[in-house]
Amino acid sequence: MTENKKKILEMLAQNKISADEAYRLLSAVDSGEGGHGNAGHEDTGSKGTEVKGKPRYLRVTVTPGAEGTSSGNGGLFKDGNVGRVNVRVPMSLIRAGIKLTSLIPPEALDKANKALREKGINFDVRNIKSEDIEELIEALGDMEIDVEGGKGEKVKVFVE
Amino acid sequence: MTRPPMLMHIKVQNQDKKFGLWLPLFLLMPLALVILIILSSLILIAILVLWPSGWGRYALLALKAAFVTFWSTRGLEVDVQNGSQCVYVSIV
Repeated sequence: MTENKKKILEMLAQNKISADEAYRLLSAVDSGEGGHGNAGHEDTGSKGTEVKGKPRYLRVTVTPGAEGTSSGNGGLFKDGNVGRVNVRVPMSLIRAGIKLTSLIPPEALDKANKALREKGINFDVRNIKSEDIEELIEALGDMEIDVEGGKGEKVKVFVE
Repeated sequence: MTRPPMLMHIKVQNQDKKFGLWLPLFLLMPLALVILIILSSLILIAILVLWPSGWGRYALLALKAAFVTFWSTRGLEVDVQNGSQCVYVSIV
């Protein structure tokens, strides 16, 4: 249960809000979390946007841990080993990039297939068709990668 | 239909210096078009010469791909901060 839901239920228990208001607030919280399934994205700039339609951007964010907090002067970091990365790539650019595979000569594709087989992946990259690309990009809408390192640094990959 | 990129904002900042640039891509596009028209005859000859070897098709597709890729860059945003440096590139 998220903090927001707890607060709403506490307010209901204290008779600060009615049952109807609590229901509406809980629904709003659920719909806000529906796109990512995690309220933790609010600090990454996604602002709780729902990814129900076509995904527009692929976001990659790396946020440092507590020791890498912003100095507040120009947004630079005091700790030289800790940095922040915030990348937003339009899906149209990814689509164009995938279509660039048609420019790869067959000899290079054979080498790529061979390398994949050596790694245990039995997949022919020549079989990727434009309709597969569209399906793949639409499926990205459900993707969410959230990795937290030992020093508190967070890596998030998601679409918005 | 997606709109072409209009502006590119580049910002580089370190502890001593700060550099920012708004690049008007919409002004550079007519210039690129003129250069493309001037070079089109050379490109066509190169494609025709390379066609029997099979590379002509790739050259033609590469031109199209470069155009499509440029057109799709609208909305790209890269913001990297490390140590005392900060690089920000945004295409709008």
